Amino acid sequence: MAVSPQFVRGSSSAFLTCLLLFTTFVSVSVVAGENNGTWGDTSRVSQVAEKKGEEVADSSVTHDQSNSSEHKKVFPVLSFNYDHVRTPFEISLWILLALLMKLGFHIIPRVSNVVPESCLLIVVGLLVGGIIKAIGEEAPVLDSKLFFLYLLPPIILDAGYFLPIRHFMENMGTILVFAVVGTLWNAFFVGGMMYAVCQIEGAQLGNVDLLSCLLFGSIISAVDPVAVLAVFEEIHINELLHILVFGESLLNDAVTVVLYHLFEEFSHAGTVTIVDALLGVVCFLVVSLGGILVGFFYGILGAFTSRFTSHTRVIEPLFVFLYSYMAYLSAEVFHLSGIMSLIACGVMMRPYVEANISHKSYTTIKYFLKMWSSVSETLIFIFLGVSTVAGPHAWNWTFVVFTVVICLVSRVLGVIGLTYVINKFRIVKLTKKDQFIVAYGGLRGAIAFSLGFLLTNSQMKNMFLTAIITVIFFTVFVQGMTIRPLVELLAVKKKKESKPSINEEIHTQFLDHLLTGIEDICGHYGHHHWKDKLNRFNKTYVKRLLIAGDRSTEPQLISFYNKLEMKQAMMLVESGSAAKLPTVVSSVSVQNIQPKDSSRRRAIPSISKSREQEIRKILRANLQKTRQRLRSYSRHDLMMDPFEDNLSEVRFRKQRVEMERRMSHYLTVPANRQEMTPVRKVCFEPEHKVFTYITDGESPKGQTSRPHPSSPDAVSLLHEDSQRDNQRSVLRAKGDTELRAKTPDNQEQQEQQEEEQVKLSRCLSDPGPNKDEEGDGSFHS
Amino acid sequence: MGSSRSRMDDIPHAQQLIHETDFSAAHLLRLHQRFKLLDKYQTGELRPRDFGAIPALALNPIGDRIIGAFFSPGQETLDFPSFVRILAHFRPTDPNRSRDGTQQELANSRTRKLKFAFQLYDQDGDGKISRAELLQVLRAMLETQVVEEQLQSIAERAIQEADLDKDDAISFDEFRRSLEKVNIDHKMSIRFLK
Repeated sequence: MAVSPQFVRGSSSAFLTCLLLFTTFVSVSVVAGENNGTWGDTSRVSQVAEKKGEEVADSSVTHDQSNSSEHKKVFPVLSFNYDHVRTPFEISLWILLALLMKLGFHIIPRVSNVVPESCLLIVVGLLVGGIIKAIGEEAPVLDSKLFFLYLLPPIILDAGYFLPIRHFMENMGTILVFAVVGTLWNAFFVGGMMYAVCQIEGAQLGNVDLLSCLLFGSIISAVDPVAVLAVFEEIHINELLHILVFGESLLNDAVTVVLYHLFEEFSHAGTVTIVDALLGVVCFLVVSLGGILVGFFYGILGAFTSRFTSHTRVIEPLFVFLYSYMAYLSAEVFHLSGIMSLIACGVMMRPYVEANISHKSYTTIKYFLKMWSSVSETLIFIFLGVSTVAGPHAWNWTFVVFTVVICLVSRVLGVIGLTYVINKFRIVKLTKKDQFIVAYGGLRGAIAFSLGFLLTNSQMKNMFLTAIITVIFFTVFVQGMTIRPLVELLAVKKKKESKPSINEEIHTQFLDHLLTGIEDICGHYGHHHWKDKLNRFNKTYVKRLLIAGDRSTEPQLISFYNKLEMKQAMMLVESGSAAKLPTVVSSVSVQNIQPKDSSRRRAIPSISKSREQEIRKILRANLQKTRQRLRSYSRHDLMMDPFEDNLSEVRFRKQRVEMERRMSHYLTVPANRQEMTPVRKVCFEPEHKVFTYITDGESPKGQTSRPHPSSPDAVSLLHEDSQRDNQRSVLRAKGDTELRAKTPDNQEQQEQQEEEQVKLSRCLSDPGPNKDEEGDGSFHS
Repeated sequence: MGSSRSRMDDIPHAQQLIHETDFSAAHLLRLHQRFKLLDKYQTGELRPRDFGAIPALALNPIGDRIIGAFFSPGQETLDFPSFVRILAHFRPTDPNRSRDGTQQELANSRTRKLKFAFQLYDQDGDGKISRAELLQVLRAMLETQVVEEQLQSIAERAIQEADLDKDDAISFDEFRRSLEKVNIDHKMSIRFLK
C-alpha cells in the first residue's frame, strides 16, 4: 500500500496517514484473523502478537493448547483469551477505525473541501472491504437488522429533535406533497419504465415481472435522509431548501414502508386487485398517522416524566433517548413508520423537556445525539463500501444504466411537475433555482440498500442490489460532490448565520399577532389563525401539565430572553467582552430573586435590601461549598474538576482587567436613571465586592454560578480555607463601602474601581441550595 | 357571472381600486362581502365598534392597535376603498413585478408592509419607537405575570441592539434593519380567498 506522494507533504499529516493505514491494517488483520473463529490459526494470532511485541502471548497460546493434555500446569502468568471479548472488541475496533478515518479527513483540509465526507467514507469502506477480500475472509455486510435497529435511529432522532419547527410547519404542505406524491410518482414511473426496459430483447431480463419492477421502483425511489443530511450539512444552503429536501426525505418513509410491504406481499401473491390498491391507501394512512400518534404519545410521556426529574438530574438525558427509542421500536412492532414516530416524539417532547431540564442535561442531550448520529453515519457509509465489495453482484449493463438514467429523469420530472402545482398554493413561490436544488438533492442512500437486502434471495435480488448500489454511488459521489460548486455557481441563497436577536423575536411575535388580527378581520381562517389557536391551547392546558414549577406560565418571549441573556453571559465569561454588561447583570439578578422578593424590593428602598440578599446568597453559597467538600465522593455527583479551569483563568485575567474598566464606565451610566434601574445597580455591586474567590473549580461545582465577568486571583486549593474567612470578613468590611458606593458618585466609583482592579472578584449570586436545581433549569446553551 | 357583475357595480370605484391595489376582481368581491358583513347596520361605513364585534380580535393582545390602524387619525368611519387599501398591504409580494421604479409604491411591497407594522408600534407618529412605546407593546403582548423589571430589561436590550444612532429610540430604518433576516414577504402576507 504505497503512500501517495500528495500525503507526504507535511510530516504531521504523513505521520497521521501512516498511523491510520497501520491501524487499518492491524485492525483488519485482527478482525480477519478472528473471523476464522478457530484457535487453530495460531499463525495469524502470532502475527498480531508479534506486531504488538508480545512474544509471551505466543508461547502461552501454544501453552494453552497443550493444557488439555496435562493435569499439572504451570500457573499462566500471561494468558490470551480473545474469544471472551471478541464481539465487543470487534465492534469497538470498527467504530474506532471509522472515527479515526473521519479524523484523518478533517486534518487534510484540501480533500475535505472538495469531497463530501460521505464519499470519503465510502471509499474507505471500499478499501477495507477490498483488503478483507484480498485476505480471503468474509467481510461483514450491512445487516438490515443492525441498520434499522441500531444505526438509523440515532440519526433520525438527532434530526427530529433539532428540527426547525417553524420552517417545517410553514412548508408542511409542500413537503407533504413532495414526500407522498413525489415518491409515489417516482416509484411507479421507475417501476413501469424498468418493466418496459426489461421487455427489450437481448437484455436477458425477461424473467423480471411487473411486480418485481414495481418493488424495485419503490425501493429506489425514496430520498434518503442520511445521505441528504450528510451532503446538505456541508453546503449550508438556505433554510427553505434544506427543510424541503430534508423534510421530504423524512416523511417519505411512510410511503416507502407501505409500498415496499405492499409490493412484496403482492409479488408472492401474484395478482393485484382494486381492493388491494384501496387497502394500500388505507394502509398508508394508518402507517403514517399511526406512527405519528405513537410518537406523540411517547413524546408526551417523556415531557411528563421530565417534569419530575428535578432531583435526579443525572439521568435526565436518558429519558429523552429511551422514550424516543421506544417510540421507534413500538412503531416498528406494528409495521408503522418508525421514522415518523421518532420525529413526532422528538418534536413533541422538545419544548417541554427543555423547559424542565437543567442546562447540563440539555448540553448532554445535544452532544450525545450529535455524537451518536455522527458515529452512525460514519459506520453506515463505511459499511456501505464494505458491502459493495463483499456482496454477490449480478451486473447487467442494461438494467443498471437504465436504472440510473430513469431515476434521474423521474426525479426531475416529478419535481418540476409538482412545483408547478404547488406554486399555485404557495405564498412564496419556488423558483427554478429552488427546483433544481430540490431535484438535485434527491440522494439515495443506505435505506434503499437495506431494503433491497431484505428481499428474498434470488438472482433478481443480486441484480437489484447491484443496481441500487450503483444508483447510491452515483447520487452520493456525483451529485454529492458537484452540488457544492453548483450551489456556488447558481448563487443559491446560503443560510444566514445570525445571532438570535431579541428584536427579531419581539417583532416576529408582534407580526404574528398582527397577521392573526388581519386574518380575523378578513374572516379568513388561515395559517396564523390556527397557529394562534394552537398556541393558546398550548399555553392554557398543555404547558401547565408538562412543565414543572412556575416555568409553566412563563411567556415565550421571557424564556427566549432569558436564554439569550444566559447565553450571552456565558459568552461573556469565556470571551471577556463587556459589551452588553448592564442588561446581562440586571436580568440575571432578576432571575435569581423570586417574584415575591422583587415585590418586597419595590416597597422598600430597593438598594440596600437587595444587596443584603446578594450578600446573604453569597454567604450561603460559600457555606454550601463547605458542605459539599465534606461530602464523600459519589459517582453520581456532577462535580466539576477543580483543576479544569485553572489554565484558562490565567488567560482571562488580562481580559478581566479590561472588563472591569469598562464595567465601571457602565456603572456611571445607570447613575442617571435611578428609579428605572435599581436592579441594575444592585447587581453591579456584588461584582465589585472585593471578596477574593476561593478556587477556580469551586464556582461551577454542581451549581450554576451566574457567570459574571471576573476571574479569581491565582488562588490554589490549599489556601481555600483562609481565603474563605478572608472573604467573609472582607464582605463585612465592604458593606459600608458599598453603601457609600451606591450613591451615584462618580468619584467614589472610580475609587472602588481602582480597588477592584487590584483584586478581581466573581459574583456568586447563586440562588442558594434549595433553588439550586431550579436555577439550573433556567440555563440553556 | 351576471349576479357577480351586479355586485361589482355596488362597489364604488371598483376599477380604480383594482388598478391601485392589484387585487383581482374576485378578491375585491370577497372583501366587499366581508365589509358588508362587518357593517351590521348597513351604513356603508365601518366604525371601531364594528371591528370590536369580531370575537377573535378581542382576544388579540394588539387588537385595539390593529383596529386603530385602519382609521386615520381623527377619522371615525372607514369606507370600503380605505378598507381595501389597508388590506392591500398584506397581499403576497409578486417577485415577477417589473422593477421599473414603481415597486416602492406598491402597497404590498416590503417597505410598505414594514411601514405599516412600524406605525402600529409608533402610536404618537413621531417616526420613532420610543422606549415607552416599546414597553407598551411588550406589556400588551406579555399580558400576565411579568415582573416590571424584566420588561424594562427586555426593552432596554431591544433598544440597545437596534439603536444604531444612539438616540434611545428605534427609527424606521433601524426597525427595518433588525428585521432584515426575517422573510417579511412570507411573514406579512395572507392568502386572500377568491
